[in-house]
Amino acid sequence: MQTTGLGKQQNLVEMAWDPVTRIIGNLGIYTKIDFANREVAECKSTSSIFRGYSVFMKGKDPRDAGFITSRICGICGDNHATCANYAQNMAFGIKNPALAEWMINLGEAAEYMFDHSIFQDNMVFVDFCERMIAETNPKLLARADSTPAPHAKVHGYDTIGEIMRSFNPFSGKTYLDALQMSRLTREMFCLMEGRHVHPSTVYPGGVGSVASPQVFTDYLSRLVRFLDFAKRVVRMNDDVFDFFYEALPGYEKVGQRRILLGCWGSWQNPDYCDYRYENMTNWGRHMFVTPGIVVDGELVTTDLVEINLGMRILLGNSYYDDWAEEETFVTKDPLGNPVHQRHPWNQTTIPKPQKRNMEKGPYSWVMSPRWYHEKTREHLALDTGGGPLARLWTTALAGMVKTPFVRSTGHSVVIDLPQSTTLPEMELEWKVPKWANTIERDRARAYFIAYSAAMALFFVEKALERLRTGDVKTFQEFDVPDEGIGCGFHEAVRGVLSHHLVIKDRKIANYHPYPPTPWNASPRDSFGTPGPYEDAVQGCPIFEENGPENFKGIDIMRTVRSFDPCLPCGVHMYLGEGKVLHEVHSPMAGLGGA
Amino acid sequence: MKKDNLETDKAHAHVVWPSHVPGVPQGGRTGRLAKTVGLYAEGEMAKGTARRSTGIRPYDRNPIDPRSPNFSPP
Repeated sequence: MQTTGLGKQQNLVEMAWDPVTRIIGNLGIYTKIDFANREVAECKSTSSIFRGYSVFMKGKDPRDAGFITSRICGICGDNHATCANYAQNMAFGIKNPALAEWMINLGEAAEYMFDHSIFQDNMVFVDFCERMIAETNPKLLARADSTPAPHAKVHGYDTIGEIMRSFNPFSGKTYLDALQMSRLTREMFCLMEGRHVHPSTVYPGGVGSVASPQVFTDYLSRLVRFLDFAKRVVRMNDDVFDFFYEALPGYEKVGQRRILLGCWGSWQNPDYCDYRYENMTNWGRHMFVTPGIVVDGELVTTDLVEINLGMRILLGNSYYDDWAEEETFVTKDPLGNPVHQRHPWNQTTIPKPQKRNMEKGPYSWVMSPRWYHEKTREHLALDTGGGPLARLWTTALAGMVKTPFVRSTGHSVVIDLPQSTTLPEMELEWKVPKWANTIERDRARAYFIAYSAAMALFFVEKALERLRTGDVKTFQEFDVPDEGIGCGFHEAVRGVLSHHLVIKDRKIANYHPYPPTPWNASPRDSFGTPGPYEDAVQGCPIFEENGPENFKGIDIMRTVRSFDPCLPCGVHMYLGEGKVLHEVHSPMAGLGGA
Repeated sequence: MKKDNLETDKAHAHVVWPSHVPGVPQGGRTGRLAKTVGLYAEGEMAKGTARRSTGIRPYDRNPIDPRSPNFSPP
């Protein structure tokens, strides 16, 4: 992290972190801090990379969409592959065989367990570890050492201070355990999707993995080992985060913003999902994480068609020219509803590289996706709460998920984990919190690890049930249509993910992936509405005990990291007018190879 | 090349072509399952033949569970 004191403006001190570390990609946070009132007065978030997937996907073979878009991200590429396959299935008019769907669900569950664990325990917890707190809040550490941990029997640490020591990077037990677990969960993933993180056996129409009894028992044996870890992690998180609320009154204001959460749903239910747009409302509601939008604590919709049609991509402070006068690819959806020119199906990306202007804009490569709420006529700057917060919130309020291990109650989500290697069976309940803030985003992540583990148990049971009927079909054949449209809705680890595809002449005519980070890291849009990072950091109180001279900005960094930022997906490598490096490798020596 | 307030090199990128080369077999095309040795369609399902799943003359060897010849080999 590079911290730069840029001089004083009245009583405001400009502070910038560019790039922010322990995240993926190029995120810069530029703030003006009011040290007298211990508050952040202004914040702008900026990304300095452009990648251009939506530009170079045009003209490609539609069957390749999943393999190419998987490379958007080196940590959640499989989420992109899966989402692209959903969109391809819709455009090709096919559905996955049931067994394939359970296997994809198992792969994605392993991905959530892997990614959330490694991010929470190896990245986020560095902000909450003993060494960091000794530097930023020494008084708090003294108190933590004398505060008993309420769930000591589960995780084995007697005091909060001991838990914080276990978070210390490279030496703490939690940190090291998480690395072991990341290996285990990646193995689980590879059993189902062939390779991590860019799956080799997931295609439109299903999977190429062989569904044998052994592949599922190999998965299950690893999952049972993981359950112990999941139980301990949830209780450790609860203890540390409850301690923060208690020891630092007012900490709920850190990273707090209006409750504007979006979740596009995860894990298809093959009993309902036929990938037809006309039936999307119904099969969307049978997903094992319910899609939905929560505004000010109210669930405003669980309808994927409504969610789809409300999407608007705004400019304002991004380095692009407008596409209002460009081609309209889709005027009406398959149900006859009009599709807006600012919808991803109709977007044309026209990059306009220029110098960054933090004061007057533009200042970022990220566009500003918003969701148009018809009732209030607002363009809502939804965030994902880092992914888990929105997923748990919509699932809890919708009351639609009822499985043996996870059930939604209308106000909470109950997760039942069976007995595992060292710990007895355990019931965990995530209750809808009062705030959408830094602590609750981080807490939800721990609960979603348990949610994914519990769901994976259910998916293994369903897959084995299918296998016992003698079914081994994991792939549906298809022919590429001359024309077609498709959309895929999924949850990347850190939140909402959609892929919109238009096929013409058996080629991709338009393709727009909208991953979570454009939603979270967007700059001020054409209406002047700040993006979620900016909004959450602006007005954030400062609890750090350091003054401007040795300020680390820990509260700001905790807030930004609580969203699980991942900038490679925030903007889609621009080669348009730059230099291209030609590197050709051919394994066939003498046949045109060098 | 100067564009707005930023200097860039000239474009070196080519137009992209669809990746499929005519004449190369396409694994996912319709009719593929019927040509796959060891699998046969049954309604919406596909089942494995006894030979593929359990090896040599499984019916002669009296499998413990009649469904087992359909399982995929480990």
